[in-house]
Amino acid sequence: MFTGMPHWLRMAAPSFSPTVFLKNLGRMSTQARRHFAVSRCLTAKAPPARRPRERVEIPGFEMVTYGERMHYVPGLAKPVYPQWERDYKDPRHYKTPPAHQMPLYKEKPCYVYNQRTSALEGVRQALWLTKAKLISGLPPRLLSLAESPANQIPDQDERVQNAIKHARFWDTTEDRPCKEKYSNTLLSNLLHLCATLQSRHPAIGRRILAEKYSLATTWKRGEDLFQVRGQNGLLYNCMDPLPEVSGKQEVGDTADHVLKSFYPVSPSIDLQKVHVYKEEVNCSGFREGYPYPHAHTLYFQEEGDINCKLRPKQFRAKMVMFAFGNALARAHSLYGTQPQSVLGRPITVQAVGTNGRLFQFLVFQLNTTDLSGDNGIKNQVWLDEDVELYDYAKLRPLIKKKQVKVPAGLAGYKPETFRKFLALYLHGAV
Amino acid sequence: MMAVSCLTRALRSLTVSQPALLSAQAVTQTKLGTVVPCTGGQCRGFLTTASLDQNRTRWKQTEKYTIKPIGMKKTGGRDHSGKIRTHGIGGGHKQKYRMIDFQRLHYESDREPKPFEEKVVEVRYDPCRSADIALVAGGNRKRWIIATENMQTGDIIKTSGVIGRMAVSANEGDAYPLGALPVGTLVNNLEIQPGKGSEYIRAAGTSGVLLRKVNGTAIVQLPSKQQVQVLETCVVTVGRVSNIDHNKRIIGKAGRNRWLGIRPSSGLWQRKGGWAGRKIKPLPPMKNYVNLPSISNNTT
Repeated sequence: MFTGMPHWLRMAAPSFSPTVFLKNLGRMSTQARRHFAVSRCLTAKAPPARRPRERVEIPGFEMVTYGERMHYVPGLAKPVYPQWERDYKDPRHYKTPPAHQMPLYKEKPCYVYNQRTSALEGVRQALWLTKAKLISGLPPRLLSLAESPANQIPDQDERVQNAIKHARFWDTTEDRPCKEKYSNTLLSNLLHLCATLQSRHPAIGRRILAEKYSLATTWKRGEDLFQVRGQNGLLYNCMDPLPEVSGKQEVGDTADHVLKSFYPVSPSIDLQKVHVYKEEVNCSGFREGYPYPHAHTLYFQEEGDINCKLRPKQFRAKMVMFAFGNALARAHSLYGTQPQSVLGRPITVQAVGTNGRLFQFLVFQLNTTDLSGDNGIKNQVWLDEDVELYDYAKLRPLIKKKQVKVPAGLAGYKPETFRKFLALYLHGAV
Repeated sequence: MMAVSCLTRALRSLTVSQPALLSAQAVTQTKLGTVVPCTGGQCRGFLTTASLDQNRTRWKQTEKYTIKPIGMKKTGGRDHSGKIRTHGIGGGHKQKYRMIDFQRLHYESDREPKPFEEKVVEVRYDPCRSADIALVAGGNRKRWIIATENMQTGDIIKTSGVIGRMAVSANEGDAYPLGALPVGTLVNNLEIQPGKGSEYIRAAGTSGVLLRKVNGTAIVQLPSKQQVQVLETCVVTVGRVSNIDHNKRIIGKAGRNRWLGIRPSSGLWQRKGGWAGRKIKPLPPMKNYVNLPSISNNTT
């Protein structure tokens, strides 16, 4: 590998006289070898840390250093110079001050839930943090919306199957699209299909799709301060708020619900603990006079972030937390940041999560912003987990013992899943 | 890859900048003894020291605790100077290091020192040791510990530093000071200095026996039948270390030992000497670790 080097050098440095150059080369080749060897990791084991030499300061005595001579002299002490600081501002060499000297530093820690948080306890932990009651399955009103034939798209099943086939088979020049790609395509296809109903329900036109909005809300739970922050998912914004899902009677009944605890694990486990934060931050990601202020539905993709893969439990927890965060940000801007035991009009936010085959449907209703205690009115969460849109989408048939177990192409399409998807989409517009 | 980058860097220093950057000696010779001030990094050949730091493995030097597996480099039995320190090591499957918290009685930094409980999240194989390891979560933190025999996901294990008047009836996996346990308990993960972290009885399937307690000290029989005397505040885990069938596995072929990173021994024929054959030795005397200076708790 190193044999080509002298040739390179000769080509590169023609200005040297040959004798000097040869001499240099001899010296350099030894030196160079040494340095190349060091440059690669020579030893996997690091040498033991050197103990720093003790400096003995005798008061009244001045140490004789070689600082004035400007070169090393054996027997003389090493000079100590003050730290040089440049008198101009150089952004490349900016050093952040330690955290406790930052202006936003606070003694009290804040626990931040961001889009990459993988909460250990999953949905249970999210329910505790948001003080919510879990009801499995979608609310009956939404289900009836899904069943009524008036809300169906013409040739619905065929068009949905085409959307799936487009995402799984036809969207690529390679053999098969990767998971990130097809889940993204499928979601946009289904949204596009839903949007074709605009001629029948003109209220759909009063919505807008937003991407990469960043959310920040603060609340107090127990003694601790919590925040939801981060950029997440697709957001359907609406001009009109979503109608509440459950009536006053059901909201009142939630006061009897007891939150599940998961002792000995603390609810703030896995959340990012920060000391530098803004205390009263509350931002839905949009400016004050934004014409579409109401969050309608959040669409999450399980494979959205390459750097962080969440397991299904943690993914659902993220959906709950961000739906809650959007609702809370809206509630704070409507009713002020002071905690209110019962909101005059509950705020509903929906969320849909997908990995390209399985869908999670979630409806969050924020009934209260008084979250510090465990008593009183709770929020409500309807969660429909792991609903399959289809069983298999295979390029080649699965053959076992010379029998075709799963045929090639789309198999096991389930029409009711898309009906649920459509029902969440149409909620508020019908 | 590295060599290519070195060469490009060499070329850059030769062509773009002045020939003065080639090496300090070259400059002094071309200019016939004129002193050229040069900064430290450029004098030494072509490389700056910036890249050297990345190549060092700091996997065991990191101060902060993490449950993330850390990538390791194979040492091949060499120490930091490159000499063979241990024979018979080399190759094998790539492994990752998981930091084990051997100091079981390690209170969380912002909690008061009280007995606490933890939940087992996961029990799994660890390539770096023969025993299995368990991920436990309690309060705001998670940590790896060495799993005991019957530890399972979802178990609640207790850790306490209190020595009461009565001996406790401990469950397997709980950690107590030796003074709190009844005589005859099977223990593992023995500390020899209070607060230092366990050093004895950590291999798969091993356990020690608490033999007796003598005014402020406790005597424990190690798996080798040797007895050690330690202070009674030393924390131990109750039970037997996991993976009890570790000694019954069948390696099967020489190649599997190579997968594990074990190289064959030299193969040189040597005449059997005094080391071969049956020996009858008396048990070594009891080891005493009582008068060592104690390390304060919560050091790490």
